Amino acid sequence: MQDGKEGSMSHVDEGTLHAYLDGELPSAERTSLEAHLADCATCRATLTEERALRERATAVLGSARPVEHPAPPLEQLRRAPTPSPWRVRRSFAWAASLALALGIGYYIRTPSYRAAPTAHTPAQPVAVADNRDAATAEDKARPQASARRGARAVNEVAKVAPRADTTTVQVAAAPAQRVADSLRMDARSVSGALVARAAQDRSPAAPTSIIVDGVPARQLTPTTWPVINRRVARSILGEEPVGLPGLATRAFRRAPGTDGTVVVEQVIDSSTVIQIFQRPAYPYDSTGGGYANEGRARVRGYATEDQARERSNPRFGRFVKGLRVEITGPLSTDSLNRLLEQVAPLPPLP
Amino acid sequence: MPDDIAEVYRNTYPALVRFLYRKVWDAERAEDLAQEAFARALIHRPENTRGWLFVVAANMARDEARRAAREKRHLTLLKSEPDAVHTAPEESIDAETRTKRVRAALDDLTPRDREALLLWDAGMSYDEIATQTGLARGAIGTTLARARRRLVEAYDAGREGGQHVARG
Repeated sequence: MQDGKEGSMSHVDEGTLHAYLDGELPSAERTSLEAHLADCATCRATLTEERALRERATAVLGSARPVEHPAPPLEQLRRAPTPSPWRVRRSFAWAASLALALGIGYYIRTPSYRAAPTAHTPAQPVAVADNRDAATAEDKARPQASARRGARAVNEVAKVAPRADTTTVQVAAAPAQRVADSLRMDARSVSGALVARAAQDRSPAAPTSIIVDGVPARQLTPTTWPVINRRVARSILGEEPVGLPGLATRAFRRAPGTDGTVVVEQVIDSSTVIQIFQRPAYPYDSTGGGYANEGRARVRGYATEDQARERSNPRFGRFVKGLRVEITGPLSTDSLNRLLEQVAPLPPLP
Repeated sequence: MPDDIAEVYRNTYPALVRFLYRKVWDAERAEDLAQEAFARALIHRPENTRGWLFVVAANMARDEARRAAREKRHLTLLKSEPDAVHTAPEESIDAETRTKRVRAALDDLTPRDREALLLWDAGMSYDEIATQTGLARGAIGTTLARARRRLVEAYDAGREGGQHVARG
């Protein structure tokens, strides 16, 4: 096609011109094309047009590009998320309260349960606060031991929070069956992350994880934390608490002790409550270019290893203004992740 | 860590994010998916890492689109006050509008033309695009020429008419 010296007799097609402009024309073809172009004004004009089109298309496409962040270290992609100190401290409370909530929930909600246990549901409370050695084959073979451990977790709750608000416990217990159901449904998406984490947890300070019906479940909630009002939450955090602006807030709670953590409980629908944990960012959070103070800071690309480490759970943690924020609730990983992205300071009190 | 993957990672990560972004239209998800693709590559150690990554990424983007449709139920709850969540400055509204136009214009292409164009933009050669799309190598130039023309035409039509923007 491009070998006609007469030019006007056979012109070069646009596909060949684009391949030429893209530098993808094999050298023999390129040579004959260039010879043809030298003789054919029409094809030279077409080439100019196609070059402009090509540049225009590149510009159009280039105008829709994401903000580029540096790639995190490749090593980081292999490493399962490691628990942050904050998570370690909180995790036992979570484990204990889930054990409590599910344990009570099963007894309250399913009175016939003990009469007709099914094959895969042991006739014991199924919530198991799992120490780092609890996933051994030995323990799997001894469900009673696991159940004892669960009971111990409940006792621990009683010790930690002797003034546990009974109303709160009932609230937690009532949806327990449903929570257990959604945890089962969710287990597939969650288990990957938690299993990966469990495999990493070798240190003595490794946090407990939670096993429900033999599958790892997302850590649930400190339902025994004291309820506080908005003003107190604000003074603990040093700024307005954050949440999802469109949702009703059910309660503000604070962590026992001087942890500085506040949880905002928000209602998605009548049976779904999400919890948004927040605390002032650690001092070292703001060392890496101050991103901790950027409202919509992205933590995708790490400038330093410290930041990479801080972003210990890529799915559920981010910074909003000066707060480190994490989210949990009976939704899929993906939903939680998306909800987390929408978290913003709650509108100031009137 | 195998050197070749590290090398590919360095050279290809931004292109893969860009490629994914133009499929899922969410920068953060694009980065998540790109990182996941590389994480999988570290496990699977494919022969042709780069090509493999783009195949995996394209599949993940497809799954992502399906999942996004399912997740929409949850998120409609939040859509009641979309503007309360963040107030975008003037320039970023413009950028958003432009992105929507590009997205609408890309939607106007046939899937195959679009794929070829995005792969080319991600830095793939004609040979790689041919392998990826199943097109003959000799057809890539024609495909790209058509894709570029349609993209520009649809983009300009959207800018004048605005219908594409509304749809995007």
